[in-house]
Parts: sequence; structure tokens; C-alpha cells
Amino acid sequence: MNERGHNPLMASLHRVWLIAGQTMAEALHLRLTLLLATSGAMLVLMARWLRDFNFGSTELKFLVDFGLGMIGLMGTLLAVLATVHLFFNDVAGATIACVLTRPVRREEFIGGKLAGVMTLLAWFVLTLALVLAGLLAIREAQLGVAGVSMPDLGQACALIWLKLTLVAAMTLLVCSYAASQLFASCAGLLLAVVAHLRPFTATTGGLAWMRLWPNLALFDAETLLAVGGLSATGLLERIGYWAVFILLLGGLASHVFRHREF
Amino acid sequence: MSQPTEVRWAVEVENFGKSFPVGWTGRRQPVIQGVSLRLAAGQVLGVLGPNGSGKSTLLKALAGLLRPSTGHCRILGQSVDSPAVRAQIGFLPESARFAPHQTGREFLHYCASLSSLTADQFKPRIDALLAWAGLGAAADHRMATWSKGMQQRIGLAQAMVHDPAVVLLDEPASGLDPDGRLAVAKLIRELADAGRTVVFSSHLLAQAEEICDRLAILGRGRLLAEGSPAELLGSIRRPKAEPTRLEKLYLEKIHE
Repeated sequence: MNERGHNPLMASLHRVWLIAGQTMAEALHLRLTLLLATSGAMLVLMARWLRDFNFGSTELKFLVDFGLGMIGLMGTLLAVLATVHLFFNDVAGATIACVLTRPVRREEFIGGKLAGVMTLLAWFVLTLALVLAGLLAIREAQLGVAGVSMPDLGQACALIWLKLTLVAAMTLLVCSYAASQLFASCAGLLLAVVAHLRPFTATTGGLAWMRLWPNLALFDAETLLAVGGLSATGLLERIGYWAVFILLLGGLASHVFRHREF
Repeated sequence: MSQPTEVRWAVEVENFGKSFPVGWTGRRQPVIQGVSLRLAAGQVLGVLGPNGSGKSTLLKALAGLLRPSTGHCRILGQSVDSPAVRAQIGFLPESARFAPHQTGREFLHYCASLSSLTADQFKPRIDALLAWAGLGAAADHRMATWSKGMQQRIGLAQAMVHDPAVVLLDEPASGLDPDGRLAVAKLIRELADAGRTVVFSSHLLAQAEEICDRLAILGRGRLLAEGSPAELLGSIRRPKAEPTRLEKLYLEKIHE
């Protein structure tokens, strides 16, 4: 037994780390990841040629809004589809049987999967954010005007990442009990839409249950940039809100997964 | 201080039954019921039976991947829900396909690390297992390019990488060529000689007769026969050009 073996918490974190690393490595080899990252980068760059459809805003603002919108849209697709794909790949290939028959707890498996997808989404958002930042820097130099500041852009991208990880956690919750990849993908996308529409739900009536779901509108980067970014308190509040829902969704997924048979 | 209880049976199955929900109504249909087996350390049990007889279900329950609907399964005297017990189990799932982006060596590293072994402990063992499996030359190639037989061999290697006390193999000879089948049979005997307990399912009756200390024949959702080959086959003579004794017993039991 190694050193970690004497400390159960460290041993547990090490197994989560191993599963996360395996998930991330597998995700980077998926055609889906390459396709969405390439399409996302091309769509961000396309904003340069779509600036005529700016609805009266300045070109730089349009580039930021369109770019962040594309990162959010393609990121949502990646968060749902990659989570489902990575989970069901393990189930179909029986890798999951090799993992779960070792001293790996079910919650460690779910934690590792979620951490792996979160790392993938961080890589995705960072890559597209760099493309957007590069495009903005070029246009700012050409136009000779200053646009959005880099710290504000970084904050906006961090908010998008928080939002995408919540979508991934919701999808993982569905995966923990779903028997079909198609069902999990559709349900994941539907839940992402529901969570985006949450501000429009009434407190009573048939749709009141939707208020239990995370409110993804809190992480709308474009809206926040329009009001000059978030205060430190506002940012901390959102991080707290995100942490509560990540723990809640992850815990629920682990609980459901503990009863799942293979 | 209390004395540790001596573990009498390495594998213990008592009145095991499993049912699965059928259709959208959720009505449960039993696949297997009333199976009781006991296996001492260092013994080899061959689980035989036609497709759908519950062999994989029994092995998965022993590995902790399925929960018994009735009865219980114990490994080394404890429930398989305990991670400490699972550290003592090696499991080969049926028709496994492993991560195509990884090399065979990386996959074994991953499995060994999950079993809380350090690199110093598992590196020499991985080299030895890769050599045993005949995968030395392909060990650093991605598994996406591997044949079914190679996938099966790496599956066997991952089941043994942490030197488990109890090895559960679901159709270990599936997809292997005759050499591979012989190597698996030899490996199972070597494991038993080293004190490891092996439970495997198979359709290769002659091989099972040769290497097993105990045999269990499943069919029609229950245990049809169980015992040592000598106990089961003692009364059956084998005329020339006839099925083997075990094949004959198997066919008798299945068509009873």
C-alpha cells in the first residue's frame, strides 16, 4: 500500500484525479470535441463578417456579444454531448465494470467524470476566448478605439464556464439513471433550455417546479458586460450559487448512480 | 482484543436470485434463482450453461455490479459493497472494449493506480503481464488498432494487475485463438496453484473439465448441477467418438 493508502481522503481524491484525467484525455480525442471547438472558433471569427447585423450597436460591442454568445452556445452543446458520450462510452465498452470492481466508490467515479468534463470545458472556453480576444485586439488596433477591457472579458468567460459546468452537472445527473444515450442527450439539452428560461417562470402554478432548477440567466455574460461587469460581491454570490448547485447535482447524481446496476 | 474470524470460503453464494424489470410496466422477471455455491481459497469454479442461463449475472453479482434480488454473495466472508473487498477482486467483463485513445500500457497503469498501487509496485508486474499476454510489441500502440483477441488479452491482464485473491472471468476464452485459449487455461491453473480463487464462465466444456476443481451448470434459471468433476462425471463413461463426459452431462442437464 502506498502513502496515499494510509490517508483515505487523499486516496479518494487521487482516484477522482485519475478518473478526471482519463476522462479529459478521452474527451480530447473525441471527434465531437474537435468539431465543436473548430466550429466555435470559426463562428467567433465570422462575427467580423456579420457586423452589418449589429442592431445599431458599435462593431466592437457586436463582436463581443456575438463571440460570447457563440462560446455559450457551442459550449452548451459540448457540455451536454461530451458528458453523455464520455459516460456511455464507458458503459458500452465495459470500462466502467473494470473501474467499479476496484476500490473505487461510485461517488468518486461521478466526481471524476464531472471534474474531467469541467476541465474540458475550461479548455474549450479558454481556447475560444483567446480567439475572441485576438479578433478584438486586431479590430481595436485597426479602428483605433478601445473596446471591452481584458479583465471584463476574462470575467465574462469565467461566468460562461460556470454556466457550462452546471449544464454538464445536470446532464450527468440524467446519465446516472438513463439507459439510452439519445434520451440522455435530449434530456440534457432540454434541461439546459429550462434552466435558461427559469427567470420567466412563475412562483406558483404548473411551472413552479422549474424554480428548483439552477437559474443560468445569472451567468449571462453579455448582459453583465452591458452594465460594466460584476462587482466583487456579485461575482462571489454567483460562485457561491454555482458551488451549491454543483454539489447538489453531483451529490444527487452520485446517490442515483450508487443504485445503478451494470 | 478479539481474534480475527477465519474466512472459510473465498466465494460464497447463498440462495442467489436476480430478476430484471421487463417492459414499461416494470414487471420483474427472474433470470436466475435459488443458486447456492461455496468455493474455498485456491479452487477453480467453472460456471457452464447455455446463453441466457445467468452465468454473467452471477459473475456480475459476485463483482458487485449487480445487487441480488434474493440471497447474498460474499467474497472472502464480506459483502462486495466494501471497497476493501473489491481491492481483492479481479474482474474481466464479457466482450470488453477499452479506451481506444490509450495504449495497452497506459490502460494497465490506470487500472493499477485505481487499485492504489504505486508505480514501483505495478511497473514490473505490468511488464510481466504484457509479456504473458503476448502484447509486448503492441503495448505502446493505441488500443483503437487492436483486434478482439488483443482486447481480450489486455482485459485479462487488467483483471490480474493488482494480484487479486479472487479472479472473476466472464468468458475469458472468448475471441482468443487456440494458443490464447491454452494460455488462459494454463493461467487459471497457475493462479489456483498460487492460492488464488478463480470463477469463470465458459462454453468450452472440455477445457472446463480439465482445469476446474468444481463445476456449476446453470440452466432454466437455476443451478442444475454442482460439484467436483469427479463427483459429477464419475458415473458417466465416455465411449469413443462420443461427446466428452462433461459434454454429455451438460447436454443431459440442459435437455432434461
